[in-house]
Amino acid sequence: MNNQSGPAAASAPAVQSPSIAVLRDVHFDVDSGKTVFSGLDIEIRRGAVTAIMGPSGTGKTTLLKLITGQIFADRGQVVVDGLDVAKLNRKQIFALRRRMGMLFQNGALLTDLDVFENVAFPLREHTRLPERLIRTIVLTKLHAVGLRGAAGLYPQQLSGGMGRRVALARAIVMDPEILIYDEPFAGLDPISMGVVLRLIRSLNDALGITSIVVTHDVREISQIADLSFILSEGKVVASGTTAELRDHPSPIVHQFVDGLADGPVPFHYPALEYHEQLLGGTVFA
Amino acid sequence: MITILRELVQSFLTFLERVGLLVRFALRLFAILPSGLLRPRPIIEQVYNTGAMSLVIIMTCGLFIGMVLGLQGYDLLTRFGSEEYLGTATAISLLRELGPVVTALLFAGRAGTALAAELGLMRATDQIAAMEIMAVDPMRRVVLPRFLGGVIAMPLLVSIFIVVALFGAQLIGVEFFGVDSGSYWSQMRSAVELSDIREGLVKGLVFGVACSLIAVYEGYNAMPTAEGVGRATTRTVVISAVVTLVLDYILTALML
Repeated sequence: MNNQSGPAAASAPAVQSPSIAVLRDVHFDVDSGKTVFSGLDIEIRRGAVTAIMGPSGTGKTTLLKLITGQIFADRGQVVVDGLDVAKLNRKQIFALRRRMGMLFQNGALLTDLDVFENVAFPLREHTRLPERLIRTIVLTKLHAVGLRGAAGLYPQQLSGGMGRRVALARAIVMDPEILIYDEPFAGLDPISMGVVLRLIRSLNDALGITSIVVTHDVREISQIADLSFILSEGKVVASGTTAELRDHPSPIVHQFVDGLADGPVPFHYPALEYHEQLLGGTVFA
Repeated sequence: MITILRELVQSFLTFLERVGLLVRFALRLFAILPSGLLRPRPIIEQVYNTGAMSLVIIMTCGLFIGMVLGLQGYDLLTRFGSEEYLGTATAISLLRELGPVVTALLFAGRAGTALAAELGLMRATDQIAAMEIMAVDPMRRVVLPRFLGGVIAMPLLVSIFIVVALFGAQLIGVEFFGVDSGSYWSQMRSAVELSDIREGLVKGLVFGVACSLIAVYEGYNAMPTAEGVGRATTRTVVISAVVTLVLDYILTALML
């Protein structure tokens, strides 16, 4: 019998597991045939800040899409808060997503709405709260990210860091259980990066939520992450605390954590032999 | 020869696939239509964006099309000594053909491209994805109001185009060439039938559905890159123009 037949099926289970998201033996290929995951196993602890790291193109964003039900695994299981994402219908996935917040790499603010309306957007769409209450909630969330004074600005008038913080206010406005960050530090100046970094940790602790952070910034995330996973070639190659990763014997982990240009992930993209290509007429392999 | 044949078959299959996807998209839009109508505000905003914002180009072009009709019509009718029929000829050609067709072509160029580019950029900047993550259906929240805005705006724009064009023709025929004003308007009133007006409005509505659907489909499904958005806007104009003319023939044949 299908025990996930109604919208209520996407609500939190009565007994909470210590893991909020579990990916078991996940296989996933993109349309072009390239394998992204080949037996990925990850367990994300409830209430922790978990970092997902890895070289470019290892499927970190794909992992987030799997967790949020934007795409589905070819094989294996993705379980979020006790629910097998692949078995949920669209309505149930939407119910699950209402318990998630996501910060996109570029903020993804709605450009035709001002800051206040951007943050109020999920409330207006999903609740019938009176305007006064919406105003209070939105201002509270904007205050939490330090941008109460920017409520009347439009996304085009915000700097990158401010946009990211507004998007963060929007992501927490529905009081989610899981907050997902896709490259939250990309393109930010050191001050904005520090602000976002501090916000991730403080929101996680103050709201009692689970944070999943996809990032390349090893040094920054190591300051706040409780647990980190490093992905490479479709699998988890290392996991643990920052100290554990630093002492990890794997060459790829060493290359990634220390930011080495060459190593198991080569500096050069596969190409023809250098001299042969220089002297010959062919540019493309 | 076999290669050419294979490519032809492949092109035909791709065309069929695209048509199928468009039909599926349209069916999804029509399925959520009733719930979309419950929120009139975004629809009104889109009628303003697609309709009111197209008024200048529609009225300007309407005026000049009317003036050209006045010139050409007067030149032709004077050969038969029937210049008093200028109003009738202008009105019938505008109501049945030129009004809806030219308005649809202008709509595709002005509002259609704007719709496609807006939706394409929303996809490229993750705004569509953000809505999905916020458990908001972008089809309902973004696509449907824009589609309905276009559908409602088109017959209104057609009407305005025709009225302005009639005054453009009157300006040339009556004010410039001296055709009798009474003849111009009274011949028009006696010759134009309700069916002519209905034909113009039906065509306007059908073109509105087609052009708006093509614009939102191309924009919503654009590749999330600068090139993808550019392609979507180009395709919107090209496909809308071709579909408008094909539909025009079919509707004319049906309503004659």
